[in-house]
Amino acid sequence: MTTLYAILLYVATLIFVLGLAYRIYEYASVPAPLKIPTMPAPLTRKGVVLRILGEVVLFQSLFRSNKWIWLFGMMFHLALWVVLLRHLRYFIEPVWTWVVLVQPLGKYASFVLFIGLVGLLIRRIVVERIRYISNPSDYLLLILLLVIGSSGAMMTFVKHTDIVQLKAFILSVMYLELFHWQPLPLDMPLLIHLAAVISLMIIFPFSKLLHAPGVFFSPTRNQVDNAREHRHVARWAIEKFETSST
Amino acid sequence: MKIRYLLNTLGQLGIGILFSLVVQADEPVTSQHVPIPDPPEAKQHFSAEQACVEPVDIIRRNHGQFLKHQRDQTMHNGVRTQQHSLVECINCHVTPDDKGNYPSIHEGTQHFCRSCHAYAAVTIDCFQCHASKPEQATASQ
Repeated sequence: MTTLYAILLYVATLIFVLGLAYRIYEYASVPAPLKIPTMPAPLTRKGVVLRILGEVVLFQSLFRSNKWIWLFGMMFHLALWVVLLRHLRYFIEPVWTWVVLVQPLGKYASFVLFIGLVGLLIRRIVVERIRYISNPSDYLLLILLLVIGSSGAMMTFVKHTDIVQLKAFILSVMYLELFHWQPLPLDMPLLIHLAAVISLMIIFPFSKLLHAPGVFFSPTRNQVDNAREHRHVARWAIEKFETSST
Repeated sequence: MKIRYLLNTLGQLGIGILFSLVVQADEPVTSQHVPIPDPPEAKQHFSAEQACVEPVDIIRRNHGQFLKHQRDQTMHNGVRTQQHSLVECINCHVTPDDKGNYPSIHEGTQHFCRSCHAYAAVTIDCFQCHASKPEQATASQ
């Protein structure tokens, strides 16, 4: 079981990192030929940075369009951050002090994460216009995240696993101790948790989860509203048709 | 037909490899590169068959629960037993070094509790009230 999970972790990490890198390259190189910032848009680059930050950190446009979806989305994403920071303790030795301090908060963040996810799942099922446009993959991602969250909370609050042994396993995987990995504790919640995380990592570069890098490349959000001050020509058009670029 | 046969063989091979990975025995391995806590040996075994007051894989997972349950039994119900008592854990597990000094709960990796708790970044508040050293050590100081 140790060998199987270790190999799957390598495979999943490779797919996740390479897939994500390829997607970011793709998003960065795809032409954005038109000047289409959603108005009212900032007039300077600094303003654009602030706008994107507001979008990434506060989900500004979602807040303006729908308060309750914003609330569930915010609950899920913020709690996910805290929970992820808590997991840093498995990858670092000696553990940084601030991780030790954040670590206990992550336990309770798991409830917030769970409520957020259930709210977003109910949205898909109950709101008719959302249900109409929902694909199987939309449900799959939410259910996968729910499995990850609940199996993780299960280990914290109900059926413990040997986390010291788990950390030894994770470190041996990280240090590339190939085929000399430390044994993985064989507890059902842990095996389910890891299997679901591995699946999520593999699905990530092919799924809607790409909104995470994608939000930075959204032309309606990352463009300066200076169409009157500067002529906007896509980079590929400059290369192809214009000799001087002024 | 040939392709189907080939795929079939490949499929069976794949399942075979997968199966061998699953059933492979998970032997503990020592490592020179991976940091793993190395808590000091306890003074004695609980019984001939069992090293600790519960089987090792259970006490490793659930010692927190046992201690909390013991606390409630003792404080709320007045039942004071020894098997899951924090004092007894400390008496058996916290051992002095060559010079007779007991390891600190606040630093280093020599204290039995601390060696793993620091590794897993789990803070404990037991020793804000309770002694982190065995009874005879605290009595003499």
